[in-house]
Amino acid sequence: MEVLKATIYPVLVMGGLAVIYALGLGIAARIFYVYVDPRIAEVEEFLGGANCGGCGYAGCSDCAAAIVEGKAPVNACVAVGADKWEAIAKILGVSVEAGEKQVAMIMCRGSKDKAKRKFQYMGIEDCRAALLAGGGDKECQYGCLGLGTCVKNCPFGALSMGEDGLPKVDKDKCTGCGTCTRVCPRGIPKLVPVSLKIAVICSSHDTPPVVKKICEVGCQGCGICKKVCPEKAITIENSLAVVDPSKCTLCGKCFEKCPTGAIQQILPA
Amino acid sequence: MEGRLVKEFTKGLWEEIPPFRFVLGLCPTLACTTAVRDGIGMGLCLTFVLVCSNMLISLLRKVIPSQVRIPCFIVVVATFVIIVELVTQAYFYPLYMALGIFIPLIVVNCIPLGRAEAFASKNAVIYSLADGLGMGLGFTCSLTALAIFREIFGKGTLLYHHIMWSGFEPFAFLQKPPGAFVCLGLMLGIMNLIGSGEK
Amino acid sequence: MMEQQVWTFSDYIMLVVSGVLVNNILLIRFLGNCPFLGVSKKMDTAVGMTFGVIFVLTCTGPITWFVEHYLLEKFDIVYLETLAFILTIAVFVQLVEMAIKKISPGLYRGLGIYLPLITTNCCILGTCFYNIRFKFGFIPTIVFSFASALGFGLALIIMAGIRERFHYARIPKCFQDTSIGLITAGLIGLSFFAFAGLAK
Repeated sequence: MEVLKATIYPVLVMGGLAVIYALGLGIAARIFYVYVDPRIAEVEEFLGGANCGGCGYAGCSDCAAAIVEGKAPVNACVAVGADKWEAIAKILGVSVEAGEKQVAMIMCRGSKDKAKRKFQYMGIEDCRAALLAGGGDKECQYGCLGLGTCVKNCPFGALSMGEDGLPKVDKDKCTGCGTCTRVCPRGIPKLVPVSLKIAVICSSHDTPPVVKKICEVGCQGCGICKKVCPEKAITIENSLAVVDPSKCTLCGKCFEKCPTGAIQQILPA
Repeated sequence: MEGRLVKEFTKGLWEEIPPFRFVLGLCPTLACTTAVRDGIGMGLCLTFVLVCSNMLISLLRKVIPSQVRIPCFIVVVATFVIIVELVTQAYFYPLYMALGIFIPLIVVNCIPLGRAEAFASKNAVIYSLADGLGMGLGFTCSLTALAIFREIFGKGTLLYHHIMWSGFEPFAFLQKPPGAFVCLGLMLGIMNLIGSGEK
Repeated sequence: MMEQQVWTFSDYIMLVVSGVLVNNILLIRFLGNCPFLGVSKKMDTAVGMTFGVIFVLTCTGPITWFVEHYLLEKFDIVYLETLAFILTIAVFVQLVEMAIKKISPGLYRGLGIYLPLITTNCCILGTCFYNIRFKFGFIPTIVFSFASALGFGLALIIMAGIRERFHYARIPKCFQDTSIGLITAGLIGLSFFAFAGLAK
């Protein structure tokens, strides 16, 4: 009898508990049933998956829900290419126009040997923190501090710190999400179309005498490029040259005449 | 087939050794390593549970429906944990008192559940057996290594025999909870150093 | 103190102090380490996990107490404690997840994703076991469960606050991530040792 009790009771009690729990969960699943549009999961498959925030939403799930609800455009995810946008458009039954892919470009050439430093910085390895320490250790108030905040925050691993103290962009991995632009305290990475052929790789608005003293490769704002350009594609805004790519014919006169080499042709990698 | 069998067994002993490479099963690693006997005991208990549950879940893998697989795995693991608990209580009472509530806590240990989910539910019985045995023995070795360090320098004994010289002042910090954390962290760091050096 | 029959208010206060500070469930009793290292990398995930654990533990502590005293003891199958408790906890968490998903999607996004993680958290099951081992009555069970969860949350939030700063510190490659996290946990635990002797 004891043996019977010892074997039957556990089976009955645990079995009974299991049945009660299963029934309870089954009923609860009916009561708490939430309709989730299955298209949201399908759309999410085609999004970047890195939760980079480039779309302006709080993550890929959020963006997918917004796209399906119609609050966000089909090409909201900047991290994927036009083929993914078309797939998303097909799920929702709409059409989409493709825009051009953008990549990040580091608008500074002031490496450790070319740009002067005010003092030696030994603190937290973050450009934002370095900026608090007397405005950063570089003489140039617009230049890249080279501590790698952008590198650490890139969700796609497209940035790496070069030996010269300047970040390097891997154009294949870069999706143009814009995180580096947001985290850099000086806004040095800029998003440019991937087919850009000419750019002024400097962010300095300092006047020519100042730039001459503190950086060998910065744009002084001397205006030589503006004078030699046959298409009038270059203007000087606040001592910094700006090129209008739509007018530029890549004749190369500005590269030759630039005293510091700040204006450069961008060759395919 | 022999090659794969050996590979599944040996990966648990170095490349995927819990808790160093696979950061799983930290709670017993920290709590049960104040003495070498406890470390080995806990490791062997977990190995038994892991091997048995891996084999049973692998046998049942075609039968268990996917939506309820987690509760099913939990029930299987819990059954073997209860068996281990009762056996240690009956035959190894000092070990049972030393390990305390960490024996029943094997049921929520990430290692049996994690391996069931990731491996046993997708592979044949013989490979699940090799995987369970490898991981379990790897875990036992890790625990033993940590316990040897903590017991020799923290108490001056090894398996409860005094082996240090009589004037030795034990480093009591290692026996206490914070010491466990620091010791494990340092060991993990050194293992990473060795691992990266090998590459 | 743990086995007395009559509890005064100051006994409850001492129980809370003991659970949160002196015998912190995470740093002194070693329960709940796996999510501790995973979730403590950012402050918002740590806060979400804390609220999840406080809610689940304060509810499942008394529920498992009921299961033990009115079901398992009545039929003399106390050895099935492990199985009964883990089933109860898993079912409860599943129920709560369903309810939150329906009632408040905002809350679900904030804390719902940690609920499945909490099911296999050793501190939930461990505290339920401690409630039985220390032979607590019903009210002390609720208070102790709440205090344990509070202690877990405290350790987690302190850890997250420190770990956020690691992102910018110069840590040698081999010590990054888990290794430095464990060493830091040990040092935080050392500071909690200052509370020893405050309560039993």
